[in-house]
Amino acid sequence: MTELTRDPAVALPPPRPRAIGAVNWVGLWTLYLKEVKRFVNVLTQTILAPMVTMLLFLAVFTLALGRGNLKFGDIPYAEFLAPGLIMMAMIQNAFANTSSSLLISKIQGNIVDVLMPPLSTVELALGFALGGVTRGLLVGTTTAVAMWVFVPLPLHSFALVVYYGVAAALMLSLLGMIGGIWAEKFDHIAAMTNFVIVPFSFLSGTFYSVARLPESWQFIAHLNPFFYLIDGFRYGFLGRHDGDILIGMAVVAGVNAVLISIVWLMLSRGYNLKP
Amino acid sequence: MAWPAPRIRRFAGPVNGRGLWTLFMRGFMRVLRFATEGIGGALISALLFLAVFVFAWAGDSGPVQGVGLPAFVAPGIAAFSLSLNAYENAAFPVVFDKLEGIIGDMLMAPLTPVELVAGYVLAAAAGGLLTGAAVLGVLSLFVSLPVVDPLLLLAYGVLGALFFALLGFITGLWAEKWDRYSVVQTFLILPLGLLSGTFFAIESLPAIGQQIILANPVFYLIDGVRGAVIGHSSTAPAVGLAILAALTLLLWLIAWRLVARGYKIKS
Repeated sequence: MTELTRDPAVALPPPRPRAIGAVNWVGLWTLYLKEVKRFVNVLTQTILAPMVTMLLFLAVFTLALGRGNLKFGDIPYAEFLAPGLIMMAMIQNAFANTSSSLLISKIQGNIVDVLMPPLSTVELALGFALGGVTRGLLVGTTTAVAMWVFVPLPLHSFALVVYYGVAAALMLSLLGMIGGIWAEKFDHIAAMTNFVIVPFSFLSGTFYSVARLPESWQFIAHLNPFFYLIDGFRYGFLGRHDGDILIGMAVVAGVNAVLISIVWLMLSRGYNLKP
Repeated sequence: MAWPAPRIRRFAGPVNGRGLWTLFMRGFMRVLRFATEGIGGALISALLFLAVFVFAWAGDSGPVQGVGLPAFVAPGIAAFSLSLNAYENAAFPVVFDKLEGIIGDMLMAPLTPVELVAGYVLAAAAGGLLTGAAVLGVLSLFVSLPVVDPLLLLAYGVLGALFFALLGFITGLWAEKWDRYSVVQTFLILPLGLLSGTFFAIESLPAIGQQIILANPVFYLIDGVRGAVIGHSSTAPAVGLAILAALTLLLWLIAWRLVARGYKIKS
């Protein structure tokens, strides 16, 4: 009650601005936490549903194709398929997380609550992207553990699995941000998912070895960045690959660098975000 | 001057034909408005599934039921698209109308519970049929699909679309939020649809797996559609038709009773 009975003649000390260092850690952490809590809230939809779907795919494809003792090299089909499906789950969910978060904020108008706080462009980009990466990695880990029960996967190189897992989640989180910033309606995101993300992830060598494709198709398959994600990720588990791993790592890093620049440009100019 | 006495009945006969037609067209126009995502999306994923099977298969395993794997899976993919689409087209509008409060406009209109169910469900079933036909048509450009028995195909298509539209309608009534709608889709519709012999012949399963699949009503839909298209099926067409018709009737009764009691739609 002291505030109310204060003598108005006595001047208040001037307000002191809160000091923020080179990085607004509190702000960044808060944005990241908001992004993570958003999907953990609906865990069934965001983590369990993709896991169940991928297990179904594993069962269906193994039953349909593994029956003829289909093998790639000396690897049984189920073992070949599992890493691809894990990667596909990560790809689709990292994209879904950032794109839906940004789009819903834009449509409901609460995007200003993220734009108004003292967060720099880089901090904004990081907060959203890391949220998507977390969702992607969580979905990937859950799916991998669930598949392990049915298909014992070897682990050729843990470092490569982590590198490709993180790089894929980051790539799709960034793509999701670009999509979410660009889109004005849910139709736009649905179209991007249906006509870009799903086709690229299906035709990336998840379900088959691209070495089996006709020559001209192989070239096209190598233009698909998701091919390198899946090929490298699978190499991390099984130690077999279709493409060159070093080239794959470079392509993935290069694509991520380009996407980061695009996201940074979009955010700093306020494209479709600020009037 | 006295007003003329109000006329009680605006329509003659036991069925409010105009009301039913209006409700049906509202649903069907919605299907057409979202055709890019609904039908276009179904076409893309059908083509992707086919492509993946063709690339992975590459002639390795022998023919299934006398045809190559592409011709074997194509009718299954079409039936699967039809089911999923009929389900979504029924469940989505009901949840949406409930959350937005529009459902009151339907309940206020002089429509009996039977007409309400019919309006929603027939529109969704028509959308599912349209999608299934489009998928079958496009797939037949890549795979030779001799439609052996068009009448049987139509019968299975209509029954399957009605079955899944009713399932979607009941889910829509039950779901209070979008979460529940997607829970049913992930944990019931997708497993039922995918583990139904869409992509593999049940003869390739161990005995216990065959028993489980025979208990899945979607199996009869997929098997029947495949039989009508390529002329080979695992079970007799009449059995499948009877089972599907009985289940559709059961779902219809449930939907009708739920609406008549105002389950989660009237306070």
